[in-house]
Amino acid sequence: MERPLDNMFDYYKHTSMFWNDMISMMSSKPASLTAVGPLRNFTENIKKISQELIESNQEIVDFNTYLMEYYKQLGETWADSQKKVMSKISEIPQDTESTEAYKRIWIDMFENDFTQLFDTESFSKNYNKLVSTEMQLLKRWNTIMDIMLKSANMPTKEEIDEIYQELFNLKKRVKKLDSLKKRRDVESDS
Amino acid sequence: MTLETSVNESIIGDFLNFNRNIAEIPSRISVPHEVKMDTCEYDVVYKEDRIRMLHYKPLTSKQIKTPLVISYAIVNRYHIFDIDSKKSWIRNLLESGIDVYMIDWGTPSKMDKFLGFDEYVNDYLDNCIENVCDRSGVNKVSLQGYCTGGTLAAVYSALHPEKVKNLIATAPIIDGWKDTTVISNIAKNFDVDKMVEVIGNMPPEFIYYCFSILKPFEQGIEKYLKFFQNLENEKYVNSFLKIEKWLAETPPIPGELFKQWIKGIYQENLLVQDKMFIGNQHVSLKNITMPVFTQVAVGDHLVSPECSMPLHYAVGSNDKNLEIYPTGHVGMIASSYSQKNILPTLTKWIKTRSD
Repeated sequence: MERPLDNMFDYYKHTSMFWNDMISMMSSKPASLTAVGPLRNFTENIKKISQELIESNQEIVDFNTYLMEYYKQLGETWADSQKKVMSKISEIPQDTESTEAYKRIWIDMFENDFTQLFDTESFSKNYNKLVSTEMQLLKRWNTIMDIMLKSANMPTKEEIDEIYQELFNLKKRVKKLDSLKKRRDVESDS
Repeated sequence: MTLETSVNESIIGDFLNFNRNIAEIPSRISVPHEVKMDTCEYDVVYKEDRIRMLHYKPLTSKQIKTPLVISYAIVNRYHIFDIDSKKSWIRNLLESGIDVYMIDWGTPSKMDKFLGFDEYVNDYLDNCIENVCDRSGVNKVSLQGYCTGGTLAAVYSALHPEKVKNLIATAPIIDGWKDTTVISNIAKNFDVDKMVEVIGNMPPEFIYYCFSILKPFEQGIEKYLKFFQNLENEKYVNSFLKIEKWLAETPPIPGELFKQWIKGIYQENLLVQDKMFIGNQHVSLKNITMPVFTQVAVGDHLVSPECSMPLHYAVGSNDKNLEIYPTGHVGMIASSYSQKNILPTLTKWIKTRSD
């Protein structure tokens, strides 16, 4: 059945996913014969890891776009500030005092322009998209690590988080019981 | 045709001196992380999980009875209050006869990522204040909060007004929508849910990034140029290293607390709109009826005055004081200016309202 492909990126994603699944299905029988017992997990894992990597392609593209925009914003601000500095310092004579004046002009100009940039909505939005995409990529990396940890019989991030949550809840309960006990002790003493 | 360029001799001299200083620096000054930070002596009188409460040893024989508990910010460490004996906030208070306690929030581990406002305010801060009351034989304390610690102190005073005799809020973060700093500009569009889900605690590296966009050229370049030019000045070098060490010791922020902070204060601005709930309790700033002293700095590039000042107008107290100082965020608590202009007013204010 044909599926409408929005653009080239979707086409490559679809093709990669298709062959990833196909290869996994086609190789499942021979892989089962050769990878005996728990080693069967490894063949399963390869499919899951490939899926994560294919899914991350769009995020890598997005990340690069936002990163380029980030450097572009910084670069343009730098160039503008430098131009302003150059137009100011042409009148300054060359001596020790003027070196100090040049440094002051340079720092003030750059400080002012960069603070203005960091204050803009476009910087904030792009920066946060950049961080968010980075987090999404990190999440994929965590998932890949979890797959590998699971196959090595090690606790995954999700399982560790569950333990932390359990410990946190237990600690809270113990503290509550402790304070209740203290209150009762005080009441019985009085 | 020959091109002739002349360079002033003193510029070459300065350049050579600068290079000589860089080459000789390791043999002249101590390793930054070995620099001793505190100047006043203290005992650790209470510990709970990662937090510690420090009780400073008195410097005067006559003391006022009401102790002062300082709730430091959750960013950086408390050392800045006592980093230099001549600029020490703590020493000044002790010399004025005030009994001072400091809460050190410690360094949260990955296990602490579920800690939020509820645990910080209703458990840690409350237990610390209970402990101080037991030790001092009083029912109420004076509570000072600095920066994010100021927000915690304000929230605590709203939820437990019966335990707070006086509230001192120094550059507190109250009205996130009015904050004009670059930090708030970043925070407004920040996907904090995703960050906490993936990373857990807010890592110090991200906090360093936020610091780096505040005065990037003054703090990132000029400061170090000045340092290399002043290597002969022992006092300057010593103070510089202490501040650098303090800046480098930024602990992570518990994920849940950070999430509540960004969403509740910067994005939804719940506290000042009377919509904040902590542990199912409504936080109303109108419940703050004790005397309140709000301190803000005009040159504060971390928490703008517009963000802190609304506390003064939102509290229910009749006895309230708002002071605006011509200094910066750190200058307000660790400078010659604060010793001369801020602390005398504050100590007088505390003394007249304490037992």
